Amino acid sequence: GMFTHLEMLERQAHEAALKQEEEEQREEKLARLKARVQELRLQRDQLQAKVDLQQKGQPGKEGAVSDPAQPSAQAVVEWKIKSIEAMLKLFYLTGISGKWTTRGVCFCISTAYEGTYLDFYYLDLLIKPEVQIHRHSIPIFIPLEQIAKKYLQTDIRRFLSVLSDHLNAYVGRRYQADQLQEHFSDQIVGTMQRNSLCNLLVFNYNVSSKSQTFQFNVRLLYEDPCCSLPTEVIVSATPDAPRFLAEVAAAHSDLLRHLALHKAFPSLRSAKGSVH
Amino acid sequence: MDETVAEYIRRTVLKIPRDEIKTMLQKWGFLSEMQLQAINFHQIKENISQEVVQLCEENCADIKQAAVLDIIYNHIYQNKRVWTVYQMTKTGEEMEFFDLTDFKKKFKRHLRSALKNVTISFREYEDNAIWIRIAWGTPYTKPNQYKTCYAVYHSQTPYVFISTSILKSNLPLLCQALVVASNYHDIRKIELRGHSLKSLEDIVFKRHSQNFQTYCPRPLQERNVAPEDARIIREDRSEKERIQRVNSEIFGDGPQPKLEFAQYKLETMFRRDPKMDVLDKKEPFRCLVKFSSPNLLESLKSLAPAGMADAPLSPLLTCIPHKARNYFKIREKKELFPESFVSP
Repeated sequence: GMFTHLEMLERQAHEAALKQEEEEQREEKLARLKARVQELRLQRDQLQAKVDLQQKGQPGKEGAVSDPAQPSAQAVVEWKIKSIEAMLKLFYLTGISGKWTTRGVCFCISTAYEGTYLDFYYLDLLIKPEVQIHRHSIPIFIPLEQIAKKYLQTDIRRFLSVLSDHLNAYVGRRYQADQLQEHFSDQIVGTMQRNSLCNLLVFNYNVSSKSQTFQFNVRLLYEDPCCSLPTEVIVSATPDAPRFLAEVAAAHSDLLRHLALHKAFPSLRSAKGSVH
Repeated sequence: MDETVAEYIRRTVLKIPRDEIKTMLQKWGFLSEMQLQAINFHQIKENISQEVVQLCEENCADIKQAAVLDIIYNHIYQNKRVWTVYQMTKTGEEMEFFDLTDFKKKFKRHLRSALKNVTISFREYEDNAIWIRIAWGTPYTKPNQYKTCYAVYHSQTPYVFISTSILKSNLPLLCQALVVASNYHDIRKIELRGHSLKSLEDIVFKRHSQNFQTYCPRPLQERNVAPEDARIIREDRSEKERIQRVNSEIFGDGPQPKLEFAQYKLETMFRRDPKMDVLDKKEPFRCLVKFSSPNLLESLKSLAPAGMADAPLSPLLTCIPHKARNYFKIREKKELFPESFVSP
């Protein structure tokens, strides 16, 4: 009846629509492929032109105008040497070197204190989807997460620079304390109180004056994590010590604030009044 | 000298292997060199310990000094205990000036305010590790010196290594005291346990060997192969080299930290062939997989070169040092990928 007729018409319309869609898709594809062919032809022509130019340039070295866009092999090598030299100089100045890895870049921060090379620390960074730290060998007490939160996403050079400052200051402080314990152990009384970051040192040391030995206590506080000199030095004598020692203590305190620990120490052996 | 102290010293000396007794007593420093010379260290341990106790009597030893001897013993034989790693967190970003005297004072005060009968002893070691020994008592009994608890804290790090004896009930108190004394906010147990304290430290402090690609020229591993017979052809040489390289990338070149076991608790669905209807219920199939070994990571490292496993190994195994955990819970991943994922 009528319904079956309607169904048949519906079906026909549906099929026609499908056919039309297919047709449209095919035409679209054809157009795309044609465009691609054009692209590739253009590329081919460009490369061919390059090859021709190269071949023309080869035999004629004498007289031929050297195309500024086609540097000679020698110039290329020279440029490479220059850039490597610049890289080495950068490394020498900053102590930071990097190498591309499959998923990002691996940095090596080398630390030193006054000419002595100390430890190497590594940072393996991933670049995608965003810059993040994959692995590292930074000591746990360096505030790496804090520094990364501040600078890693926005300014990677600053991140490396701040981190390098922290690390260099830490190894510098540690080096001074180690040197002190190694070379001046006879002058130090008892054990030296240190901590992992080497930013608080407390110890007692002997001072001789007029054939008498007195004991001073010193407390060095390094508030700036990027500095290897203390921000606060408190030198105190024992309560029953003679009065003149107070001046000596003040002088020692002043010296220790401006000079490296192991360098200042020889001058602290004797109570020679104020040292300027 | 107290009877209990004498007995405690006697038993502690008995624990020490005979050849080590003299060095340990020297480290202790409580008995003078002259007194130590007077002891005959070649007799049986029973007699040595008796002599030591007598000398301690002369010097009037109290429990505090005896506790120090116990710390020294446990420091040298630290691998006899099982250590669990705890991590502390803090909210602020202030610079930390770890002051040891301040730490000790706060710790003792906090602990004593909750429980008066405790023996607390500290000893600092060169690697900035502070060893804390605690003997617990109850409000009505004196501290039991034989059931002690040790906590090792590295200043200015968020990690504490705790080894308890059987009594675990006082653990929350200890954790709280640590948090307060070190100016942190919170503490939680991380899923890392083992016997080798140094290895646990290496893992969390990232001191273990990791392979970083750098420009620093690593000396080419000398092909230190004994001159092989030219008639032998190694068919799989390139594969062996690939395995070595992959292994080296994953595990690094140095010795691995020592862990005794890794445990994986599976809460995943049992994957079955639809035809093999083993389980009707759609419930996770509970299963526990435990790997144990005298040195688990070294064994994992040698699996591929020995031909017993493919390289690279499953990341579930190789992530142990990087994730600093050896207890895992594996649940179903609720997305498109059929592989399961590791829960935090």
